[in-house]
Amino acid sequence: MKMKQFLAVVLSAAMMLGLAACGDKTVSNSDSASVSASKTSVSASASASESTETEEKEPVTLRMAWWGSQTRHDRTVAVIELYESLNPHVTIEYEPMDFEGYFNKLATLVASNDVWDIFQLGSNFPTYQSKIYLLNDFIKDGTIDVSGTTDAFLRIAADEKGNQVGLCSGVNTYGIAYDPELFKQAGVAEPTQNWTWEDYKNACLTIHEKLGIYGSSKFDDWQAGASMGINQEGFGIGFFTKTNDGLGFTDYKMLSDYMQMRADLVDAGAYPDPGACKEISDIENDFVVSGEAAMTWVASNQFVSLCNAAGRELKLINPPRKKADGPAGVSIQSSQMLCVSQDSKHPDEAAKFIQFFQSSIDANKILLAERGIPTFTAVREALAGDLTDVEKAVYEYVDVVGSFDTGGESVNPASPACTDTIKEQYNYYLEKVIYKEMTADEAAKALYDFAASQF
Amino acid sequence: MLRSKTTGNESGRTPWNRFLYNNNTVGYTFASPFIIGFLVFTIIPMLSSLYYSCTNYNMIEKETFIGIANYVNLFKDERFINSVLVTLQYVVFSVPLKLAFALFIAFLLTRPSRLVSFYRSLYYLPSLIGGSVAVALVWKELFARKGLINTNLGKLGIHTVNWFGNMSAAKWPIILMTAWQFGSSMLIFAAGLKEIPSSYYEAAKIDGANGWQIFWRITMPCLSPVIMFNLIMQLISSFMVFTQAFVITGGGPNDATMYYALYVYKQGIQTRNMGYASAMSWVMLLIMGTITAIVFKTSKHWVFNESES
Repeated sequence: MKMKQFLAVVLSAAMMLGLAACGDKTVSNSDSASVSASKTSVSASASASESTETEEKEPVTLRMAWWGSQTRHDRTVAVIELYESLNPHVTIEYEPMDFEGYFNKLATLVASNDVWDIFQLGSNFPTYQSKIYLLNDFIKDGTIDVSGTTDAFLRIAADEKGNQVGLCSGVNTYGIAYDPELFKQAGVAEPTQNWTWEDYKNACLTIHEKLGIYGSSKFDDWQAGASMGINQEGFGIGFFTKTNDGLGFTDYKMLSDYMQMRADLVDAGAYPDPGACKEISDIENDFVVSGEAAMTWVASNQFVSLCNAAGRELKLINPPRKKADGPAGVSIQSSQMLCVSQDSKHPDEAAKFIQFFQSSIDANKILLAERGIPTFTAVREALAGDLTDVEKAVYEYVDVVGSFDTGGESVNPASPACTDTIKEQYNYYLEKVIYKEMTADEAAKALYDFAASQF
Repeated sequence: MLRSKTTGNESGRTPWNRFLYNNNTVGYTFASPFIIGFLVFTIIPMLSSLYYSCTNYNMIEKETFIGIANYVNLFKDERFINSVLVTLQYVVFSVPLKLAFALFIAFLLTRPSRLVSFYRSLYYLPSLIGGSVAVALVWKELFARKGLINTNLGKLGIHTVNWFGNMSAAKWPIILMTAWQFGSSMLIFAAGLKEIPSSYYEAAKIDGANGWQIFWRITMPCLSPVIMFNLIMQLISSFMVFTQAFVITGGGPNDATMYYALYVYKQGIQTRNMGYASAMSWVMLLIMGTITAIVFKTSKHWVFNESES
């Protein structure tokens, strides 16, 4: 009996302790809150003009996440710290991630209704539309001041009904980064704006033959072969229709050339096989960086990271065309945007942060257009003063792409929700072609049928 | 006498005390962490996945009930069939290799030596860290095109192998990594070996049996219940292979290592066909249940049971 009583006492004591510990936490939380609140009032009284505004503010915790390279992580964290120092009542918890990990995590957070307050999305935003807190009201009531940007830039982060789903972090476009020195050593002429896939293939083969390295490093096959590839077939033709409710092309053969070329290049050893491609985890350890490849696929905003990692002179050119006088296929787009989530308890605070992030000159002097060329005029002008040569090359390249003939067609900023599934299937069939389990023609047909069945 | 004394004692207490000191109350209280965990983390998720497997749930929109369509579609999905085949292939290669290795090391470590416990800990170490992403990354580097393995093969004048670019080579690093984590099976084997009475061995030696005969006629039969236990445990864990393939090959090249669990993940998380992925999980349960049942059924032919003899 005594033992039991003793046990009961010990157990209940343990429970009490546990409860007390829980209680403690909340106490210390409010403690730190009151500390930061008193900090607020101190800084407020120091700057007399703000005193009435900041004193009353309740502490707010926002969660934020993004994908990207180490450079982006470092700069974004610095901006978050800057924002916190200017707004002591706001604490931002952040999660930097890589692209795949980001979207996998996002999917689970969507399912559990727990999406980060501030999150980053690209052209795939329609998939997550139900989770996006529209910014329309914030723009109307002035929480977000958009007078510093243009309607055109707002539209690239809006859905087809004109709802503002986010604020664009910068514009970019796709391109090919190449090493002119390696081209020279192999005796291959540098690419021009009108180069074709045939030129690309020959360049890869010659460079591989002469130098024993890969002619080309990993491409974004979906972009190069399907999304942009179909755009290159002619003005007004796209993988999806402008309204995202079906396929925008009718001839499946438009998909087969790229697949065949990729398989031929891997066969010849001029392009890394799928195993070697797996060794590239992000742009900073691309084969171009180590000199094992002469060119690679980049989004224009990644070019600076790539050049910094490589430490050599690299150049930027538009992707090859299907026909030398045909459409370039590339266009200027919103590289990504910041959105406020429906799950956020403080959408107004999140919106204020986004506004700061995109339009503050101080913040953007830290970010340095790493997410693409800023869309706020004042920011762009402030940055223009101290651009490095590499950054200037990016600006010039984006201007060149902007000047390409689009046949009067506007760009569709969004892709339908089934894009991920189709993209996955595209890569699956492409590997089948590379390992000769399918011909390029069969794969193109199968993909076309699969994609059509998604609508 | 004693009995009446205790009842007398207890009747003197309040009903609350009687409840508190009841054996059932105490039992359930102490078991409650497990019971709650089992309900929250196993039963409820399993039931909800059974429900989702009959819907087109995609984690974003509200699901609609579509009956057994997911299950029907599974058997039309060539990637699914392929994932079953490569998983079976992986199990067939990795489980015997791992068990043989575990038994071999356990056998060596039964010899009386002062360093036995040191070696045992040493060989157990990979099992502790083996499932981690960090080790998988190390293996990825080891078998990379210019990794340690290929560098050494090159030095020996052997052709280097493009491990992750070649469909038939890609499975070997993963199988080897699994076999390398033989520690827990080894410990169980070692315990089993110790249980075999030494008198059997002495008798066999007196009768003039050689080492090979002793192993097959005494060690193996006496160890067979332990072998069966290890076999079932390893079969189950091998069917669920995920981390290594996810980190090292990502399922490639051309789906050569697209194991079952990895394909479930790809469908469920990456392309957000959660309903379809749930259906796959249930088919997986059936497959594993069948295989375990087969092992149990055949066990009476090869597992030696002392009470029967």
